[in-house]
Amino acid sequence: MREIKLPILPTTSVGSFPKPDYLLKARNQYAKGLISYSTLYELELKATEEVIKMQEEIGVDILVHGEMERGDMATYFAENLEGFTISGLVRSYGNRYYKKPIVIGKIRRTKPITVDMFKFAQSLTKKPIKGMLTGPYTIADWSFNEYYENKRDLVLELAEIINQEALDLEKAGALFIQIDEPAVPTHPEEINIAKEGFKISTKNLKSFLITHICYGDFRPIWNEVINFPVHQFDLEFTNNADKLYPLIEKYGFPKDKYIAVGVIDVHSHRIESVEEIKARIKEALKYFKPDQIFVDPDCGLKTRTWEEAKAKMENMVKAVNEVREELIKEGYSSEIKIKMEA
Amino acid sequence: MIITVVDHYPKIPNPPREPKLRRAIHAYDQGKITKEDLDRVFDEVTKEVIEEQISAGIELITDGQIRWEDGQSYIGKKLDGIEIGGLFRYFDNNTYYRQPIVIGEIRWKEPIILEDWKKAQEWAKDKPVKAVLTGPYTLARLSRDEYYKDLEKLSKAYTKALVEEVKLLEESKVNYLQLNEPSIQYYPEDFDLFLELYKEFRKIFSGKLAIYTYFHSLIPLKNRLKELPIDILGIDFVSKKENFELLKEFPKNLSLGYGIVDARNTKLETPEQIADLIKRALNYISEDNLYINPSCGLEYLPRERAYEKLLNLSLGVKLVRGDKK
Ligand SMILES: [Zn+2]
Repeated sequence: MREIKLPILPTTSVGSFPKPDYLLKARNQYAKGLISYSTLYELELKATEEVIKMQEEIGVDILVHGEMERGDMATYFAENLEGFTISGLVRSYGNRYYKKPIVIGKIRRTKPITVDMFKFAQSLTKKPIKGMLTGPYTIADWSFNEYYENKRDLVLELAEIINQEALDLEKAGALFIQIDEPAVPTHPEEINIAKEGFKISTKNLKSFLITHICYGDFRPIWNEVINFPVHQFDLEFTNNADKLYPLIEKYGFPKDKYIAVGVIDVHSHRIESVEEIKARIKEALKYFKPDQIFVDPDCGLKTRTWEEAKAKMENMVKAVNEVREELIKEGYSSEIKIKMEA
Repeated sequence: MIITVVDHYPKIPNPPREPKLRRAIHAYDQGKITKEDLDRVFDEVTKEVIEEQISAGIELITDGQIRWEDGQSYIGKKLDGIEIGGLFRYFDNNTYYRQPIVIGEIRWKEPIILEDWKKAQEWAKDKPVKAVLTGPYTLARLSRDEYYKDLEKLSKAYTKALVEEVKLLEESKVNYLQLNEPSIQYYPEDFDLFLELYKEFRKIFSGKLAIYTYFHSLIPLKNRLKELPIDILGIDFVSKKENFELLKEFPKNLSLGYGIVDARNTKLETPEQIADLIKRALNYISEDNLYINPSCGLEYLPRERAYEKLLNLSLGVKLVRGDKK
């Protein structure tokens, strides 16, 4: 038995942080062939250091490395796997575009993809860093498929690859591994494929497993999703409170699982006040036990400015600290202990 | 047979061509160019995509909806009673739209697509341009209703507002009007209400009136399609193969918008494959009642691949036409 100790209502974030201007500029120049990869890589490391420092200064409990090296969460993996090529630009909304991967051959992982950056980030802090992966169903759903006979074949192939990557992250010391599957609610009719893929991705893992799912209507698939083999679900309780709480009210939430409650709107420039965030945490306390709850923003912060992301996280941690004090006064322990298999 | 497209066209090309609209919108957001500058780029890009459609062999084109951020907010922001809210996923795509929030009585206050259509038709010269709107039922389903708190009232309010726009389109002699209604497929139980809404459009529009659906299945409404008071019904045969069952008993009073080229995957169909699919439909539906088009709008593809898909689509139609001679 291993035990992870954390302050009650541990704070964390979903994964991405905004890229500093110098990094955006460098990525642009690299894309045009104006600077070398090593120049870009140095700047990615510099930005990662800044993201870690920011989270430490704010006092976050479980850190993320910030995904300075990633453009899009699915495309990044495709760029680093054999069998994919990257398409031209496709619009996702407003004036935002991304390069969508195309599967053109058998997919193979020739080397670990995320391990070096994880190790680097973890070397900068004593706090735990989450290993961040995108789930097989989401990579498949967000790619064009020109090679595999059907979606299930593609998902299962990717699932083995994500599993190898997760095992490598554990070997490198990751205590927390998050596998994001935001595409799952979009095709309720394919929930069995998604579930099968997720099971394969998580086999033989011993770390604390998290999945983040966002922008979705869970109603048709809730009872399937809450049985995914993870310790924690990370869901957007700010933008989707009106859909999620009724589901939890109706079907309940597993007593032995943890919930990361999104309390920050990541799509708005407005900095929520400490009071507002406290109210969102207290709403969550009506549905979950205090020692089940982690607190974070609704989704990745990459679309905010650096200043907005920092201010939002600061207020979030302030709000958590105030609620913690109240909980301790009520007699709760200041710490939670998560028991894990050795 | 008429070769057409569904609605939108990719807004920016890939290198070596310049993504000028993306740059212009960015510059406008940063206050570096004026609204007039941005409008000029919108016009230039609209002209480009009109030319691209025509050169690919499309016979009934659209303006590419170059000015539209998405199907809902472009209309919502021009109506009274609506505020534009947060981002929501658009059906099962990795594409998002800003949700219209209904905060008061919905009222038409200014032309929505009239000027866009007029300009596009002028630039397209002798090629007909269809006027395209998102339909009232889908607008209602994709909105957050804080005012009417009732789907029927909300969709009727949207209808009333859009009818004002359609009156202007009718006056301007628009020959083809299309309303996009993907949402009705997900709630077939609302079909009676849906028919009521479309009777309003039929009363005032004398040209070809089309409803396009995509992403899903129309099988649950199979026996009721003939009641639609319209001329053309667009169906997506790529996302749901079961829709092929509709061919056999497709209502004689309707033309079919036959969506057979996958507008959501880059894998290129060959002209021969397209020709085979057209022949399959011709077993049941007469040539005069067929519009051949992609499965949905083309913005889910990179611009160059969208063009290649259209090229093969029109080559496929030409194979069938040649075969017949
Ligand atoms: Zn998210």
